[in-house]
Amino acid sequence: MTSDASPQPIQSAKAAVESLAAVLGGALPESLASADDPAATLLHDAGVASVVSGRLRGAGSGVGNDGLCRWLYDAFQSNLPELQLVVLRFVPALAGVYMSRAVSRKPLAGFEAVLLALYAHAVAQRGAGEPETVTLPNMANPSVYHEAKVPAKTKAAELDVVVLSPALDPHGTIRATRRARIVGAVLELYHSKLALMPLSSKMDFCEFCVGWTGKHSKLDDKSRVLATAAAEPNTVVTEEKWKRVPLPWELFQPTTRIVAHCLLGPTNSDELKTQAARAAECLYWRAAETMDTRALLLSRSVVRLSQMAEEPIPEPSFSGGIENMAELEAMRADILSTKN
Amino acid sequence: MAAAAESDNGSEVSPTAAAARDSAAVASPVKAKAKARALELETSASAASASESSEAKIDDGNIQEAESSLREGLSLNYEEARALLGRLEYQRGNVEAALRVFDGIDLQAAIQRFQPSLSEKPPSKRSNKLRSDSSNSGSQHAASLVLEAIYLKSMSLHKLGKAMEAARQCRSVLDAVESIFQRGIPDVMVEQKLQETVSKSVELLPELWKQAGAYQEALVSYRRALLSQWNLDDDCCTRIQKRFAVFLLYGGVEASPPSLASQTECSYVPKNNLEEAILLLMILLKKWYLGKTSWDPSVMEHLTFALSLCGQTSVLANHLEEVLPGIYPRTERWYSLALCNYVASHNEAALNLLRKLLNKNESPGDIMALLLAAKLCSSDCSLASEGVEYARRAATNAESSDGHLKSAALHFLGSCLAKKSRIASSDHQRSLLQAEALKSLNEAISLDRHNPDLIFDMGIEYAEQRNMHAALKCAKEFIDATGGSVSKGWRLLLMVLSAQQRYSEAEVVTDAALDETTKWEQGPLLRIRAKLKVAQSLPMEAVEAYRTLLALVQAQRKAYGTVKNVTEDDDKVSEFEVWQGLASMYASLSYWRDADICLQKAKALKAYSATTLYAEGYMREAREQTQDALAAYFNAVSTELEHAPSKVSIGALLSKQGPKYLPVARSFLSDALRLEPTNRMAWFYLGKVHKHDGRLADAADCFQAASMLEESDPIESFRSL
Repeated sequence: MTSDASPQPIQSAKAAVESLAAVLGGALPESLASADDPAATLLHDAGVASVVSGRLRGAGSGVGNDGLCRWLYDAFQSNLPELQLVVLRFVPALAGVYMSRAVSRKPLAGFEAVLLALYAHAVAQRGAGEPETVTLPNMANPSVYHEAKVPAKTKAAELDVVVLSPALDPHGTIRATRRARIVGAVLELYHSKLALMPLSSKMDFCEFCVGWTGKHSKLDDKSRVLATAAAEPNTVVTEEKWKRVPLPWELFQPTTRIVAHCLLGPTNSDELKTQAARAAECLYWRAAETMDTRALLLSRSVVRLSQMAEEPIPEPSFSGGIENMAELEAMRADILSTKN
Repeated sequence: MAAAAESDNGSEVSPTAAAARDSAAVASPVKAKAKARALELETSASAASASESSEAKIDDGNIQEAESSLREGLSLNYEEARALLGRLEYQRGNVEAALRVFDGIDLQAAIQRFQPSLSEKPPSKRSNKLRSDSSNSGSQHAASLVLEAIYLKSMSLHKLGKAMEAARQCRSVLDAVESIFQRGIPDVMVEQKLQETVSKSVELLPELWKQAGAYQEALVSYRRALLSQWNLDDDCCTRIQKRFAVFLLYGGVEASPPSLASQTECSYVPKNNLEEAILLLMILLKKWYLGKTSWDPSVMEHLTFALSLCGQTSVLANHLEEVLPGIYPRTERWYSLALCNYVASHNEAALNLLRKLLNKNESPGDIMALLLAAKLCSSDCSLASEGVEYARRAATNAESSDGHLKSAALHFLGSCLAKKSRIASSDHQRSLLQAEALKSLNEAISLDRHNPDLIFDMGIEYAEQRNMHAALKCAKEFIDATGGSVSKGWRLLLMVLSAQQRYSEAEVVTDAALDETTKWEQGPLLRIRAKLKVAQSLPMEAVEAYRTLLALVQAQRKAYGTVKNVTEDDDKVSEFEVWQGLASMYASLSYWRDADICLQKAKALKAYSATTLYAEGYMREAREQTQDALAAYFNAVSTELEHAPSKVSIGALLSKQGPKYLPVARSFLSDALRLEPTNRMAWFYLGKVHKHDGRLADAADCFQAASMLEESDPIESFRSL
């Protein structure tokens, strides 16, 4: 891979598109260069997305002089929020390939540079040394949504403050023992922008998640037993490539959150839901392998929710034809009486 | 086609008008007659809808015609007539036709008309209320009709996939209601139909925004639904609260928290999505406890998700316990509670629940519960036998169902057997158990080659049994499988290398491990490095290594001293350990003064510690203060009943006191060997005791054991991993 990316920093979305075109060797569609909002077009263009993820997944990607990684790094460092979204869009492919390859301890300086830039952003956003905490509600205290009788003089009931995500220490390099934490924090960053991410990005994530757990064969066995339609041969092949990775809580937690979003969040795509349900099941079996109880509880709830039917929006009720007509009559009578 | 549609409409609309005219003529409506007509109308309508609903399309000419006949007949105004017509179309499933009819309604004009009569302040007296009710009811009906029409228009748009436009229409219904009822919807004054339209629209709006991808709008409309006075019934409110909680949990939207100035002092204000979602879910559960809503299993699952995200499973356990009987089968509830308790480290409570569950009268074959129970027992020697039982059952039950779970079962079986072997009363029993443990672990690995934890436990077991070659292989495999990301893997490798006395390789590995570890977490590795230097008799370098470690430990203490709630990591080295290590090293070099200083420092940090007392005893012994040394050793044993090194030293000291002390010495040494079968000093002194007593064959055995073990003594116990 050649590194003919622009030497100067990226300062506008248009410049980003141009330098991406240079990196990809002119594979960008015409519409992109002439778009009014190149960053948004870049974010949602399926063609570009598949070319870029294809490159990221390709053999030999992510090394120190990978031009695409360089572009992702520069685009993120531009500090243009729209461009940063474009970079975040590729987090699933980036993190997915990186984690799978890092286990084999291959040189991946290109991936690491991008991930560290994202991580540094997450650290800055949260403030160094600040954990992300949650204050649990106590039902004895009233809230906007409910009332509670609190005796006038007693103090409010004690609230538990718990840590959702521990403090992030700044890191200049990715050391193996911190790898899961860094990638986990990057996934948290991705999670916070999920609503803005295109569908294919989430599909990528679910695919890698299945690979990470190393449990896809188990599900495949099951589906074969159940004699359901076998997955397409080429999808199976791509999944085989992604090696199982260690999933400590710091990685398991954000992963499950993203999968839960794909499954239970607002989406109209059944394909995504199917893929996410599969990922959730893989996560559950992975947790069951060592009876990791925390992961087990978390993933079990997602799997169970995936099996529950969603409540439809209630239809307008026309309470029976006859009564309805009587109602019409009454209405008419009322109208007449007020008119007189 | 068009003609058919036309005639259809004629037959539907004119009877309505006719019926209306008829009953208008009769002052008191003759119900039977009206009903008969209505019935007739209904059948014709449904017949039409059944046969041609999909094709029936009315054009504008038809609408106008029908509308004018309606207006004439019912004295309805333009909007009301259209509303009625559109509703009829919608009801028959002609969504597009309904939409065309609704399009002509000017909502703003209608609102203007309704406003003055309805926004009157509700009178307080009851007698007044009745009067105002009747005077209001007319315009309320009209308002109801028009608002319902807009709501149906929104539904039609929604069905046609135009979510954004649907949302705008729906919002206009709510805006209209708000401008009509400026003080919120009063309980008593509203006609049922109007209330229904309002409730449905309130519920519909956020869903439409969500479909349209306008998530911030959705958020706002959820809060608007729950925080304004819409006079919603419990079921409707419950549904909205649940959907909002789901949206907050999984929406992937960064929501600003609700800002309300009118909060009382002690009220709970959620700061982020997760907090708001948890609050809503808890409210939903509470409503159910109070019998206000029906049970919805998904609420508990959402709460499980939210609370296990932040590790608050004991709170979750409380909620699970509050669920009334009859919802969950009791075994399922026990299993869930056991999971919660285990995460919260209430192991005993978890085990008791599992014992109840696995009772022969409940679900003795529940594989997940068996696995959990086996895992729980594998962490405690005294429970190991019980764990073996569970794991065996799990393995048998997994046989039929699932290969992967069988591997887990065999894994826990191996761990439990290994744990059990630690407290075995005889050598024979111990070696049987150890062999069995290895067998199960091997079997587990043959079923699942990719589980690093399994490989690690296997490595530990080999190391415990002093099969260093196999242990080394496992350690390397573990590091490969985890990409060197788990520090205990590095430490296992270092221990094994040190046991094989391959110190220079160990140093190289230490450097590699330090390279993969951040500064803050290097403590245990630096400690190992120092001990490696001591083992190689390089005291100057050892001192240097300890100095680096001390600097790290003190920096950590300063950094974390101010921060509360730091989870105690077992990966942290304490300052006490450093001084202790230095004291031992100086003592071994007979630098008594330096050793004393270090020991005092250690004592200042931890007054009663078996290791410190032991080190003190060692120093006294080396300076031939036998009585003081013995006293120190005894103190160490009374501080920690199972402190093997002190027992060995007591045994050794006593064996030198003359023949009458030999039996006592022997019992101390045997005791030490029961605790640490691989303690080579214990074997050595036991050999001496045998020799003094004249049992030469026994003595030879012991000496042989000691010399074999000397070649495989790690610098730190494998059990510390």
